[in-house]
Amino acid sequence: MKGSNDTVSTATEQSPAAGTRSRAGMRADRDTHFAVEQFYYEEADLLDAGRYADWLDLLADDLDYWMPTRTNRLRRQQAQSVAARGEAAFFDESKESLAWRIRRFDSGMAWSEDPPSRTRHLVTNVRVRHVDPAEHPGFTEDDLLARSAFLVYRNRLEREENVFAGTRTDILRRTGENFRIARRTILLDQNILLAKNISTFF
Amino acid sequence: MWHKRWYPAFPLLLPGGMTSTIEPQNAATRAPRGALRRPAELRRNIDVSGLVDAEGGLLDRVIFTDQQIYQQELRRVFAPSWLFLAHADQFHKPGDFFTTYMGEDPVIVTLDRNRRIRAFLNSCRHRGARVCRADHGTTRNFTCTYHGWAFDLEGKLVSVPNRDSYPSSFDTREWGLVEVPHVDSYRGLIFGTWNPDPVPLREALGDMTWYMDAMLDHDEEGTVVVGGVHKWVLEGNWKLAAEQFATDWYHVNMSHASALMTLSGRPPKDEIVHRTGRQYVDPKGHGAGFPVHPKNRFDANTVHKWMDYDALRERLGDARVEGPLTNGHATVFPNFSYLPVNGSIRVWHPKGPDRMEVWAWTIVDKSMPPEVREAQRLYNLRTFGPSGIFEQDDGENWSEVQAISHGFITNGVALNYQMGLGTEREDGRYPGRTSELYSDAAGRSFYSRWRELMNTPAWHEEDE
Repeated sequence: MKGSNDTVSTATEQSPAAGTRSRAGMRADRDTHFAVEQFYYEEADLLDAGRYADWLDLLADDLDYWMPTRTNRLRRQQAQSVAARGEAAFFDESKESLAWRIRRFDSGMAWSEDPPSRTRHLVTNVRVRHVDPAEHPGFTEDDLLARSAFLVYRNRLEREENVFAGTRTDILRRTGENFRIARRTILLDQNILLAKNISTFF
Repeated sequence: MWHKRWYPAFPLLLPGGMTSTIEPQNAATRAPRGALRRPAELRRNIDVSGLVDAEGGLLDRVIFTDQQIYQQELRRVFAPSWLFLAHADQFHKPGDFFTTYMGEDPVIVTLDRNRRIRAFLNSCRHRGARVCRADHGTTRNFTCTYHGWAFDLEGKLVSVPNRDSYPSSFDTREWGLVEVPHVDSYRGLIFGTWNPDPVPLREALGDMTWYMDAMLDHDEEGTVVVGGVHKWVLEGNWKLAAEQFATDWYHVNMSHASALMTLSGRPPKDEIVHRTGRQYVDPKGHGAGFPVHPKNRFDANTVHKWMDYDALRERLGDARVEGPLTNGHATVFPNFSYLPVNGSIRVWHPKGPDRMEVWAWTIVDKSMPPEVREAQRLYNLRTFGPSGIFEQDDGENWSEVQAISHGFITNGVALNYQMGLGTEREDGRYPGRTSELYSDAAGRSFYSRWRELMNTPAWHEEDE
């Protein structure tokens, strides 16, 4: 019952292919939107607390986690300004490879984070729609396509500072009352990475 | 002789393209300077003899922090040296371009209509703005967006708005883009130098090519670039990185302890920590180190399985397959470095005494099938590059060294480069002189070469 009225403003965006009751591509209702936001805030807390093993639990086993580099291109070649799949990326990961990266922190000798940085992951501009399975094979209308903006502040040692801003496009898979991140594409709003390294996740 | 045995005849030309040499008209560049004369105060030089004790293995930390020394490096180390520009695979058709830096000078590298690789100063001759602000792409000409002067792929000035307002003496032929006088390549790696009369590239690389071939010459097809360049900033002097890649296996077990544990699931075994190897010490400041083991192998398993080690032994010899082909680090003086096992090649662009920019490419054998290329790409981005489990800790080290080095007392305390002092020798297995795996020998040679160039007037000082 609750929340169903909140899709009113987007009712006209319903695709012709979708049946009258189909939610494919539709904006999620208020409760769903709220749940996604809470999910993101809790995720941000885990990352800021360095609880990477717990963060891994939020990721689906078939995760695709990709953060391509971005180049300055002539305006007429702007379509190619994001590196393609298979090209240079800051992250191009599976759940397994992220677990591998995270094992590094368990060694007690990961010097780039010892002493640890202080980070704050801010997540905003959240927009949530139901997945259109026609566009995302393997997913259902219950799954969610969520776009968000992030601002990650890192403060390290005495006065080192980095700001990472960008967008994330996720597919969140419904697992009962919870979500698992199954796809995540991260676009960082930088050309030359203005940091000596990336020692956190987005 | 090594030369006869190992150096095959090879063309210096790019596949489908040529490199270029132009005749410089003036001392520093082709650009006319009219009545302009630079006063000597602008280029006061410091005698750096007392700052590098290569023989005793001591270094004065001021060479990492002083602004005047840094300016002198741009004049005397970067301007006269062969500097890495790009990989040949970045240029396939006329008009393909890539923008980079030589020292702090912005340059455009492009393939002209005659398929010659050329490099131009990326600065309009009129008011000095960059004429190309894209990282790479394809174009027919470079147009300055300030007043509209336009230059073709040969650097010629082809369009001047309101041309009639200039005096009759104005000759567009004199106002083309300033061109890098010498561009040459070695097995796909394109280098350029502002020096009008340089030692040829091949000669400048010397015996270093034997070690470079361990990465570049696995078969007839050579290497290609995985799309894109990783670029990031580091708050450290460029020499900290260049030196480390020349001479420093020593840091691996400590700096990269977490990465080694991640790879193997346990702390490095004694046999890893105490493994032996060699370090090539080049008189021109290049350096390369590598563990030596009969079963040295590529770390990425897919790549390891694909490698035809018998064919490689046939082509490159046991010494290379058991050493620099499968592991190690290297620097081509002054600021080009690579990691053969990762196919990571990079430039440390100087950005002032306290800062550098890292530009890193991944190269793979052209003959690799897609799944092997992909395995190598993923292995490299997960280990090296700014998010890599190894590279993260390198960045931490260099910024840490730099951050405190301006303290007056700190700055005056000499640094130690004495490991392996006096161990360099010709051992009959590796070309040139080599030292132990754990040694500062190539570092001492790197700084010795730096000292020599810093104390030698460059061509552009002769006519001033």
